[in-house]
Amino acid sequence: MASWLIGGPAVLITSILSLKLAPTSRYSLSIVGIVRFSIFFPYQSFRGGLDVMGRALSWKPRLDPGLISYTTSLPQGAARIFFVNTISLLPGTLSADLLEDHVTIHTLDHTMPIRENIYKLENHVASLMRLSIPAQKKSSS
Amino acid sequence: MGILYNSGTVLIIVGLPFFLSGTIGLIRFPDIYTRLHALTKADNVGLGCIVCGLALQSGSIARTAKLLLIWVLVLIASSASCHLIARSALQKNIQPWMRP
Repeated sequence: MASWLIGGPAVLITSILSLKLAPTSRYSLSIVGIVRFSIFFPYQSFRGGLDVMGRALSWKPRLDPGLISYTTSLPQGAARIFFVNTISLLPGTLSADLLEDHVTIHTLDHTMPIRENIYKLENHVASLMRLSIPAQKKSSS
Repeated sequence: MGILYNSGTVLIIVGLPFFLSGTIGLIRFPDIYTRLHALTKADNVGLGCIVCGLALQSGSIARTAKLLLIWVLVLIASSASCHLIARSALQKNIQPWMRP
């Protein structure tokens, strides 16, 4: 019970602060998007874990890393932040920088279909937040 | 109860090699970026398996919800800190290791 003395006010203050500091953008979540994402995400992160496991345990670690820059069409705010954070949990990709709409992605193996995977994730995030993004553009570095 | 408990045990055992390989990757991989890959991905899957296993064994919905909440919070914390570490490494001009 004594822990409530510290915990209660702390939770209250952080909640008020974050409501005050966060940009006032409203997002509506789509139920279908949530269901699709909650199948897509665990499956992909499991694959990501297996991928890293295979590379770490193989006799000579199989790595062919590189940096990729990707331009996202998701709007600034919650959608973009969510997108950037989930990139790091997908197979072979890690978001290393975000500047405006340019995401720098580090990949363990640039022979993997990174752009396709990222675009798929972008689509999932968009449908999760009831946004629409343009069809995949071909390359651009 | 018996089946639930045992499948929980199986899930926990499945989760352990992920933690192990995350740590092995941390030791064996050549640079900061690849090491981040190993830690975030493998450990998240490992923790996910263990949390699901414990949830099956918990026998109470409140405890299951708490366990899942812990997993989600760890996911958020680890992907955010992973991004921040990679970002500050890039800003310090640490070049990613390339295959020779």
